[in-house]
Amino acid sequence: MFLDKLMSPKTAVNQNLDIVMSNYQTNKPGDDNNRTSDHRNREEFEETPTWAAVVTVLGYAILSALGWLRDFLRHIVVFTRSKQISYECFYTRNLYTRIRDVFNQPIASVAGAKVHVMERVSDDYNWTFKFSGKKIPSINLGSYNYLGFAENQGPCSEQAIKSIETYAVTTCSTRHELGHQRYVKELESLMAEYLNVEDCIAFGMGFATNALNIPTLAGKGDLILSDKLNHVSLILGARLSGATIRTFNHNDMKDLEAHLRKAIISGQPRTCRPWKKILIIVEGVYSMEGSLCKLPEIIELKKKYKAYLYVDEAHSIGAIGSRGRGVVDYWKVDPNDIEIHMGTFTKSFGSAGGYIAGKKNIIDYIRVSSHSACYSSSMSAPIVQQIISALSIIMGRDGTNDGQKRIQQLACNVRYFRRQLVDMGFIVYGNNNSPVVPVMLFMPAKIAAVNREMLKRDCAVVTVGFPATLLTESRVRFCISAGHTKEMLDHALKAMDEVGHLVSLRYSKKNPHHRWVELDHADYDKEYTS
Amino acid sequence: MNVGIAQGERNPNSSWLNSRGVWLTYIILLFVLHFILLSIPYITTPVAWTLTTTIHNICSFYLFHLVKGAPWETSDQGRARRFTFWEQIDNGVQWTGTRKFLQILPIILFFIASFYTKYDRTHFVINLATMLLAVVPKFPIFFGVRLFDINRY
Repeated sequence: MFLDKLMSPKTAVNQNLDIVMSNYQTNKPGDDNNRTSDHRNREEFEETPTWAAVVTVLGYAILSALGWLRDFLRHIVVFTRSKQISYECFYTRNLYTRIRDVFNQPIASVAGAKVHVMERVSDDYNWTFKFSGKKIPSINLGSYNYLGFAENQGPCSEQAIKSIETYAVTTCSTRHELGHQRYVKELESLMAEYLNVEDCIAFGMGFATNALNIPTLAGKGDLILSDKLNHVSLILGARLSGATIRTFNHNDMKDLEAHLRKAIISGQPRTCRPWKKILIIVEGVYSMEGSLCKLPEIIELKKKYKAYLYVDEAHSIGAIGSRGRGVVDYWKVDPNDIEIHMGTFTKSFGSAGGYIAGKKNIIDYIRVSSHSACYSSSMSAPIVQQIISALSIIMGRDGTNDGQKRIQQLACNVRYFRRQLVDMGFIVYGNNNSPVVPVMLFMPAKIAAVNREMLKRDCAVVTVGFPATLLTESRVRFCISAGHTKEMLDHALKAMDEVGHLVSLRYSKKNPHHRWVELDHADYDKEYTS
Repeated sequence: MNVGIAQGERNPNSSWLNSRGVWLTYIILLFVLHFILLSIPYITTPVAWTLTTTIHNICSFYLFHLVKGAPWETSDQGRARRFTFWEQIDNGVQWTGTRKFLQILPIILFFIASFYTKYDRTHFVINLATMLLAVVPKFPIFFGVRLFDINRY
């Protein structure tokens, strides 16, 4: 089609990845999340409809044109507000401020399954806000609270508060000096056991774990192959390390293999010497796409070309897999095949910090030479205690099977929510099992519309647009939690159905469009309780 | 640094022209401009085409070659502050699809305008002048060049 040739080259994410990974699943009887049906492991990124892309770009063009006009008027007639007109703030001034009330909304309670959003009013078109005093109790669909541990009551928080009495709030010291305390050692051994690896080291900040430890592992003369959609912390760590960085298309194994072959054949850029090592950096669950990395294929490639693998399981640890052990558990691969397991405690464990796990000699090397161990302060006692309590619950050490119930609840919630959204006709990205559910909006005005309308219906959601995502790929990102009950999910789906009808979000060309009342709920309910 | 974004793009200005639907929208906007001009009563078709090419070329010269920097606070700490938009596209890599598209479009407009103006001399001179204004700064030899220090800082 001539029109297709006029289209710009498709971006990596817009390829339709219809992967059936059933040959990587072992069929254990009685195992809830491991059915070999193809529906389970599907990953879908439905292509943007052309007309939606054109209207989105037109929307941005009109907004920019009006922005230029307003800046021109500000220039010739000095307004009271914007005296300093710089081009760098063009986007913030003319686009972001228009819908600023949907970003960075302050909350007034624990960000658990429900949250109180503080209502704000603005007299001058979002340049300044005033609190109206009202608190909107809403369902929290924006927090990374996958296993529901973000609560201020219950065994975890009680133990965390008690640990302050024993250990005080912080040692105010780095890991190399006074920061190496009993509780950190306990956490590290527990985490190593949880992940089924030899050793583990924990850091105070998840971002810093990536940014400060990749320079320890890679340096000049190394090659880092990182996925195009890796998180900023991985990119920062890779840049700080001084290694050569090449990116491969998202989850594209052929591209990765081509890069590996080209790198090994041609060597380092100028001298053509062989690389000292090649490190492949991927994430378990990509938080903006909801896709899982194809771990078995990457491990096969890694073994074939003798490279090393670094898996960042920030969003997948605790949330994916039948026992909650992350993508390693999900794909049932040998943990010894992955050199560095990295993850954070922020998402599923309701705490803060990050860890790196692997073989004992690597972890010992990181203990000695990591920037983070030497310069940043160590983890504090209540935070560590919260993780230890959460871990004990997940592993079943506290005697109940609360942990396994939470994991199964999350899996049920995810399946229930995703399936209904897809059946209603929305474009939902990502793997069927990932707790991150991005629903595409495309147009800039809908970013604000969806957020405001969902808040009116008591659902607090997170919407993102350009330049955080690609130009034509604004989305609303739901994060499902084990703390959400079926009633909450029904409420959210009903709200999304109404908002989708109001704002016309049903873009899917593959799936027929239905209203929520037209869906066969008995079918979903049966699947939910199974 | 923007944490929690979907891409490690240092400067979104370099890649948004590669997004899906941008080229088609560009052509649609051009046609919308032309139809608006055709709708004004005293403008004949040749004049409308010349006006379309002139307005398009002057606007594209301004937006691509005079405006510098990016309208966002980029995470590379303003490395592209001295570069024009044309130089920022695809991070300076020459002869990519987008660049070729943007270079060919003024030339095609020139051909169409010459046809519709029946190769009249005045129109030809105007169209040629604006076409050169739009096409010549896009040559790779002019990458980073500021003639007579205009627009240098």
